[in-house]
Amino acid sequence: MNCSLEELTVIEASRYLEDGKTVFAGTGLPLMTTLLAIKTHAPNLCFVCETGPIAPIVLPTPLSVSDPRLQHRAVRLGSLKEVLANLLQRGMMDVGFVGGAEIDQYGNINSTVIGDYRRPKVRFPGSGGGNDILSHAKRILIITKHEKKRFPERCHYITSPGYVGGGADGRVKAGLTTSPRPPITVITRLGVMETDPGTGRFRIVKVMPGSSIERILSETGFRPDVADRLEEVKEPSGFELRVLREEVDPQGLYMKKV
Amino acid sequence: MTNAAATNKIMTAGEAVEKFVFDGAVVGLGGQNVGRCAMAIVHEIIRRRTANLTVVGCNLSINMDMLAGAGLVKRCEGGTGNLEYFGTTFCFRRAIEQGIMEMEDYSHLGVLSRLMAGEMGLPFMPTKSMLGSDMLTQQAASTGKKYELVENPWNPGEKVLLLPALRPDVAIIHAQKCDPMGNVVIEGFLCHDVELVRAARHTIVSCEEIVPTEKIRMDGERTNIPYLYVDAVVEQPFGAHPTAAYRYYDYDIDHVKLYQRYAREGGKAYEDYLKTYIFGTKDFDDYLDRAGGFKMMNSLIKHMKAML
Repeated sequence: MNCSLEELTVIEASRYLEDGKTVFAGTGLPLMTTLLAIKTHAPNLCFVCETGPIAPIVLPTPLSVSDPRLQHRAVRLGSLKEVLANLLQRGMMDVGFVGGAEIDQYGNINSTVIGDYRRPKVRFPGSGGGNDILSHAKRILIITKHEKKRFPERCHYITSPGYVGGGADGRVKAGLTTSPRPPITVITRLGVMETDPGTGRFRIVKVMPGSSIERILSETGFRPDVADRLEEVKEPSGFELRVLREEVDPQGLYMKKV
Repeated sequence: MTNAAATNKIMTAGEAVEKFVFDGAVVGLGGQNVGRCAMAIVHEIIRRRTANLTVVGCNLSINMDMLAGAGLVKRCEGGTGNLEYFGTTFCFRRAIEQGIMEMEDYSHLGVLSRLMAGEMGLPFMPTKSMLGSDMLTQQAASTGKKYELVENPWNPGEKVLLLPALRPDVAIIHAQKCDPMGNVVIEGFLCHDVELVRAARHTIVSCEEIVPTEKIRMDGERTNIPYLYVDAVVEQPFGAHPTAAYRYYDYDIDHVKLYQRYAREGGKAYEDYLKTYIFGTKDFDDYLDRAGGFKMMNSLIKHMKAML
């Protein structure tokens, strides 16, 4: 293959972002992926960022949601309230795109603590806008490293809700009515898993080149089902790779080439 | 017409902190991550060692982390402690893990909902965020009751979360422009600053430049916060350093990284940072000299100009 698995993860994730839709993404790989989609197949994808910029023409390379590079030529420089309440909670975001610390079989995310809440073994940053994104976006994309400890059967702490306790109505029961049954897709260096609409549980839908079902299972703390029709992730086109390397992350701040 | 001279609120950072930030205060911090944090005012709080603070806000970053690292924070109510690419907020993390500081977790919209109740004079605000999460498994130390789960009266069976109003004792924000009365013009994104200020009992604004009230009156629609909410106006160029002020200067990557090295190490190393950059300086201008002075600030201006 002509690129690193890290690059292919981003390229594969970008293929899930459709032209003309709205996406709410954080910095890091979700942002890199969004920019790649805009510069390749989705020029009319509307990107919003939680600090308030709407549809900016992003300059390379933002390191924070408050980076001036993310404010460049936005059609509106608004506020957290506009983005989180007036767009996200109102149900106007087609895709919510996050990274993840700990993700369980039902797509719940923990970015708060490991151990006792009051005296944790490890304290993570907390929800941020993550809980709001998972609560309200119509489709959820997660990009993360594939390690066993990151994919436990049950999160130590649910910061952001997937299908909560599971089942097709797992979210509705909890009161999450803005987006009752969103597909949750997690893209890693080993493959792609997506929630089954019937159970709200992850199943393996794609495998990365060089990876395998066995490899995914050995690196996952729960036992995901396997989709009937399993696909292999397509290798990148020369165009996708060139745009990624030259325009999206030209300084290689987020992605290594080898 | 209000007499501008009679409502002059310009004072030094020291005077503003002395007057409005007291031991045990609930302090709301504006800005976010590496953008528009009111660092000059934060430095002054540390220099005076005003303690037992409850720090509130959506994203709490280097501003909160310094206060926590200096041992002045007993509790945070917020959405995140985070510097993204530059890592977590290490003093915050350590203080929670060691049980020195309490954290009361909300989502960012959760915090905003509480501020929106505060800014509108309402006792609480409904939201559809945080449902199904473990943020609803702990009760709050601040209000005794973190939330109430109710049924939508117009749609029986639908769950709605109510969060109590949050009214900080003092909001501390940094803006690009402000007049002597306290009419504030923020450039670039607003973060949660407007809601925060309107919810707070008092507000300190530090700004890049003081502009005449006549100029504010020429473009009233550009005023983000009218003077009625503002108590103190502090003129402090580069007052957000090492974070950015849109259209004025970029954030200082090197200083943020340097801060993170000391914060990660903690202990003696962190004390050295505070000594060098805060306790050992007489004011924020003195700090700016130590943090690279004219040369560094000039290069941050250049970086920003190249982006506009």
